Amino acid sequence: MQEIQLSLLIFTPLLAASIGLLIPAVNSGLFRYLSLVANLIQIAVIASVLSLFKSGDGIQFVEYQSWITIDLGTWGTLRAAYFLGVDGLSLPLVALSVAILLIATISSWNVKRQTKGYFLLLLLLNAAIIGSFTALDFLLFYLFFEFMLLPMFFLIALWGGPRREYASIKFFLYTLVGSIFILVAMIALYISVQEPMGSQQIVHSFNLVNMRDWSNYLPGSVLEPGNARLIGIFDARQWCFLLLFLGFGIKLPMVPVHTWLPDAHVEASTPVSVLLAALLLKIGGYGLLRIAFPLFPDAAAYFGSFVGWVGVVSIIYGGLNAMSSKDLKRMIAYSSVSHMGFVLIGMASLTPEGVSGSVYQMFSHGILSAMLFLLAGVVYDRTHDRTIDHYSGLYKKMPVYSTFVLIAFFASMGLPGFAGFIGEILVFLGAFKSNSAGGPLHESLAIISTVGLVVSAVYFLWTLQRMFFGPFFVKGEIQADDLTDLRSHEYLVLLPLATAALFFGIIPQPLVNVIEPFAKDFTTFILNAGTSIHSTH
Amino acid sequence: MEQLAENIRSINTSVTHVTPEVILVLAIVVVLVTGLMTSGKLLLTILSSAFVLASLLTCCQRIEEPIQRPLFDGMLTGDSYGTYIKILLDIATLLTIWMSWTNKKITDRLSEYYIVLIGTLLGAHFLSMSINFISAFISLELISLGSYVLTGYTFDRRGAEGSFKYFVFGSVASAIMLYGFSLLYGLSGTLSFGNADFASVLAGSNGMLMYTSAIMALTGFLYKIAAAPMHPWAPDVYEAAPLPIVAYFSVVPKLAGLAVLIRFSEALPGVNGLPDWQNVLALIAILSITVGNFAALWQQNPKRLMAYSSIAQAGFLLVGVVAVDFDGIRIALFYASVYLAANFLVFVYLQFYESKGIDTLESFSGSGRSSLVQSLFLLVGLIALTGLPPTGGFTSKLFIFSALWEAYNASEKPLLLWLLVFGLLNTVVSLFYYIRIPYFAFIRPGSRNLETKFLSFENLFGLVIVLVVLGLFFKPGMLMGWINKINFAL
Repeated sequence: MQEIQLSLLIFTPLLAASIGLLIPAVNSGLFRYLSLVANLIQIAVIASVLSLFKSGDGIQFVEYQSWITIDLGTWGTLRAAYFLGVDGLSLPLVALSVAILLIATISSWNVKRQTKGYFLLLLLLNAAIIGSFTALDFLLFYLFFEFMLLPMFFLIALWGGPRREYASIKFFLYTLVGSIFILVAMIALYISVQEPMGSQQIVHSFNLVNMRDWSNYLPGSVLEPGNARLIGIFDARQWCFLLLFLGFGIKLPMVPVHTWLPDAHVEASTPVSVLLAALLLKIGGYGLLRIAFPLFPDAAAYFGSFVGWVGVVSIIYGGLNAMSSKDLKRMIAYSSVSHMGFVLIGMASLTPEGVSGSVYQMFSHGILSAMLFLLAGVVYDRTHDRTIDHYSGLYKKMPVYSTFVLIAFFASMGLPGFAGFIGEILVFLGAFKSNSAGGPLHESLAIISTVGLVVSAVYFLWTLQRMFFGPFFVKGEIQADDLTDLRSHEYLVLLPLATAALFFGIIPQPLVNVIEPFAKDFTTFILNAGTSIHSTH
Repeated sequence: MEQLAENIRSINTSVTHVTPEVILVLAIVVVLVTGLMTSGKLLLTILSSAFVLASLLTCCQRIEEPIQRPLFDGMLTGDSYGTYIKILLDIATLLTIWMSWTNKKITDRLSEYYIVLIGTLLGAHFLSMSINFISAFISLELISLGSYVLTGYTFDRRGAEGSFKYFVFGSVASAIMLYGFSLLYGLSGTLSFGNADFASVLAGSNGMLMYTSAIMALTGFLYKIAAAPMHPWAPDVYEAAPLPIVAYFSVVPKLAGLAVLIRFSEALPGVNGLPDWQNVLALIAILSITVGNFAALWQQNPKRLMAYSSIAQAGFLLVGVVAVDFDGIRIALFYASVYLAANFLVFVYLQFYESKGIDTLESFSGSGRSSLVQSLFLLVGLIALTGLPPTGGFTSKLFIFSALWEAYNASEKPLLLWLLVFGLLNTVVSLFYYIRIPYFAFIRPGSRNLETKFLSFENLFGLVIVLVVLGLFFKPGMLMGWINKINFAL
């Protein structure tokens, strides 16, 4: 039987968007409901996927339709397919996306300006995000990956803050440069890979699963394993890995290509920030785990230590920047940079623990960053001022709000009992074990990265102390009377997130069960392939 | 007497292979005569479209015919590569005619306008079949003479200035080219570069002299496709000419020039100790892409912006020529087809906005609100020119870079890798300026309130091209399957 759940997830928002296109813009109220209905259908679909998913069975819910087949003469045939599927890596991220997209719709309820355009773009973005996480064909993935760019650009540029033009263009350019790097690697890959069991005709395919198998590489092609062409100091496979690493690293983002993120976050409206931090950044990490590492295991093992150190720098540099940020949203944005560093270290450790931690960290950061940005949005809604120094003793004025902030901050710090803790502890376990388990990371890296924990405690606690404790006062243009406590729709989005943050901190096992088979598979594959290539030299 | 009879027989058989061109000559006569009797815009437009369409359909029928060579005693060749180019030229001319008949600057003298337009098309047709210096030069001049007139067709000061600049620059380029031709004739003893003797005799001649004269000959072709360093005429001419003509210039002379350039560069032998032709063309491509894109960044006028864009796109078209061993010709044809569609999409809407008085980038401010459909269609066209999915522009860029990578892989010429790097980086740069019109239209606030209709000729026209541009992304196989059938002969 042909599965249809994943297509349903992707096409529901697209269908909703095309219905929305036909509704005149004056019915502004309708568009929210349209988006909401799409989100609720997606929730129902993902629930069925979750209940039917068998942990450890590899890629499931596979859909395969041939899409583009072109005869390129002496070159052979080019084949791209509509190829979807989920495994232990993508399922948590797809589920997270569906949930966060619903939350984004609810928190967009108050958007007053050009609601038609806003919600249609949101729906397009929705489809592109789900598509990126489920596509198993490189061309299809690239299509969705690029397709996220324009809706996000317009969402920042049209509904953003005062410097939105600058921020949106910066976002656009960074991501576009990244995707050009990915494009080069994609071209090199599809030229070098053929479909297995081809007849006389060579069939070049974009199939990501085929690309993992070294027997599918054409002899004499640029990326033939063990025999790749030398260009300068590295061989072509290593260059391609670096291109993918840079391309996805910009999205992640890692230091030093992170500078678009704080600007984009500060200018974007709250729901857009939530989507950006909770989902779009994950596509960077996902791309590394799905494409860069498994397709170039030899290069991944070679550059593992480098990837790990980039992670360490991201953690510490991001943390220090967060500490010195005056704007609440900028502080949270830098904390994202810092948290994404753990994702890099986890995958570079090439241990099951580290890789599981890496995925877990992405999942928990999805929940926590969404919560943090929503919380920053609450205070901004009331006062239009996010300067940390302008507030003090908020606890006295907004006790419930402050409690939520407390939970979110502690969870993000990685305090035991919260989701962030599980991800970070698994990453550290992996990093410490890496050297003895044949992975590329040295113990010293693990030790240095723990400094990141201290730094994150400092900036979160310091912000708590400055904004929420002490005597109550406000500075600047803020009216103290505006500072009212949470409203019902804010509860509606914050409560589930806080619950999830606690749930996945106390009962990590269900999620770990989903991720672990993937992580084991991933590490074995990369370590074995990586060593076999060096022995053939 | 025997000889004469033989010649006449050969001409007789050749004539059947130039039916599309005969139809175009008929079109000129009929439109001229009709124009003397009536000035009905609709009638003239329908007549001209019908003839061009007839030529288009005749070409379509011929795409699978075997190679006919040489025609007219070695003047022309009849391969389906040339036929495919002619199909593109005819489509471009049809689109130009449909863009023109509502443009108030042109409609005063419509019949003469159509005659010159079709005459230029006739030149382009012949150029894409030429394998002889004489026929190449005559058809090139036929294109040029028509182009000079069309540039100044608004009959105002600016038009006259543009036309004159074009004329001066064009004459110099022609003179240099002609000098190159004559030297090559002297060296090879034949005027036909499709002749097998041409390459073998040249290879034994004075290398340096042959190289210089070949470069001189190339100059004329590069001038026609507006590739750097023969590009400086383009922005001035584009700025002066009416928009349908700009759209026409950005496609028809370019593709015809490309057709003959591919044939000519295929025929040239290499010279020891000097960079071979693949490297020379790669260098020109790098130069065109870079110069075009970077100069476009500073433009404030959409026509000038599109002029520099067309210079950069000429560079990308040349990439197909550079990678010619690896089905580069087919890839270049695919690229040209997408370029044709995307370019006309952009120009249709630039004309729409110009008719509303929007003729600088800044004046687009806020126009996205009141003309949403038009701005969205324009956005699709610009995205396709940049080469982002989900448009055919992405597919064609993907193919062209793949072919280049393969060519590099086979030849290991470092310049090809540089071309790849420059091409990719310039794709990012090009986004900067392509996105500027949508940026002003959607993001900058503006008070302008355009009166637009959803159901209009432009939108119907635009919708069809939008569907083609998107279709070339989702189902590129249909066009590629067709292109795969073509054959190529010098």
